[in-house]
Amino acid sequence: METTHPLNVLIVEDEVLLATELSFLIEEVGCRDVGHAMSSDEAIALASALKPDLALVDVHLRDGPTGIEVARRIAADCGGIALFMTANVKRLPADFAGACGVIGKPYSEHGVKTALNFLKVCLREGRAPGLPPVGFQLAPEWAERWGLGDMAQSA
Amino acid sequence: MTDHDLKSQRSGESLARELQQALDQKTALLHEVEHRVKNNLQLISSLLLMQARRTPDPAVRSALQGMLERVNAVATVHRRLFQSEDVERFDVSAFIRDLVSDVVGASGRHDIKATLNLERIDVPAVKAAPLALLFSELLGNAIRHAFPDGRPGEISISAVRENAHFRIEVADDGVGTETEDVRPGFGQTIIKLLCEQLRADCETTNANPGVRTVIRLPVNGKH
Repeated sequence: METTHPLNVLIVEDEVLLATELSFLIEEVGCRDVGHAMSSDEAIALASALKPDLALVDVHLRDGPTGIEVARRIAADCGGIALFMTANVKRLPADFAGACGVIGKPYSEHGVKTALNFLKVCLREGRAPGLPPVGFQLAPEWAERWGLGDMAQSA
Repeated sequence: MTDHDLKSQRSGESLARELQQALDQKTALLHEVEHRVKNNLQLISSLLLMQARRTPDPAVRSALQGMLERVNAVATVHRRLFQSEDVERFDVSAFIRDLVSDVVGASGRHDIKATLNLERIDVPAVKAAPLALLFSELLGNAIRHAFPDGRPGEISISAVRENAHFRIEVADDGVGTETEDVRPGFGQTIIKLLCEQLRADCETTNANPGVRTVIRLPVNGKH
C-alpha cells in the first residue's frame, strides 16, 4: 500500500476568523494546516520556508490587493500550488497568476471541503477525477494539465 | 472652425471626460460594496460554523446549524447575483441547482437522491433573498425529517412557469408528516412570513409516500 502524506496547506488570509475556520476544514479533510500569513511578505516568507503543497490565497491582504503577486511567487519560486479564495473572482488575471483555480467567497463549508478533496486527487493522480465541484473554478492551464481540456468552467 | 466652435468642442470633450471619470468612480464603488457584502457574509457564516463546532449542547448546535443554512442560502444568492452581468434579475433555477448540490452534499446522506426539473426562471433581484430562504427551509425540512434512521429516498425538485405563476415544488418520498413534530417550529414561521412577503401560496400535501410542498409565486408580483 502506498502511504500518501497529507497535503500541507498554507493559509494566506488577513481575516483571522476565516483563517481559523479554514484551519478546521483543512484538518477535517485530512490535510495539514502548516501556517497562516496575513500579508504578502509573511506569505512569501512562509511559503519559501515551509514549501507547502497548497496555499489558499485571498486577494486582499493586510498590505493591499497583493494576493495575486503572492500566488505568482508561490507558483514560480516555491514549488507549491496556489488556490485563490476571493470575493473578486471577476477581477483575477486571465492566467490566474499561475494559481490552479478559485473558490468564490462567500463559500460554504461543504464547498471548500469538496474543492480540497478534488484537489487532493488532482495532485496525487495528476488527473482530475471529473468536473470540478460547484463553486470551484479551475484555471484553464490547470484544467488542461489535469485532463479537462476546455471544460474548466464549473456549472 | 471658429474660436467658438473650438471652445465648445473642448468643453464637450472635457465634459465627456468628467462623466467617464464619475462613471469609473461609481463602478469602482459598486465593486467595493459587492466585495464587502460577500466578505461580510463569509464572516457571518464562518462565525456561526465556529460556534456550532464548539458547542457541546446538541439543541444549541442544531439551532446554529439552522442559522448557518439560512445564511448560506443568502450567501449563495449573492455569489450568483454578482456573477451574472445583470444584477437586476435573479436566476432561480441556477440558484436551486447550486444550493441543492451544496445542502444535499453537506448532509453527508449519500442515500438521498435529488432529482431536478428546472426551467429558466428569473425574478427581480429584490425577491432573491426571501425566495432563497423559503426554498432553503423546504429543502432543509425534507432532508432533516423525511428520511430518518438511514431510510434512503428521493427529493424531487421542480421550478417551472405555469400560466401567470412560477411553480416551485419540493417533494420527498419519505416517512410523511405523521411522525413529525406537530408544533409549528421556527422554520414554519419563516415559511409563512416569507410567503406573505412574496405574495406566494404555499401548500403542503401528502404525497403518498412523503410530503409535497408547492409554492406558487405571481410572475409579475409588483411590490
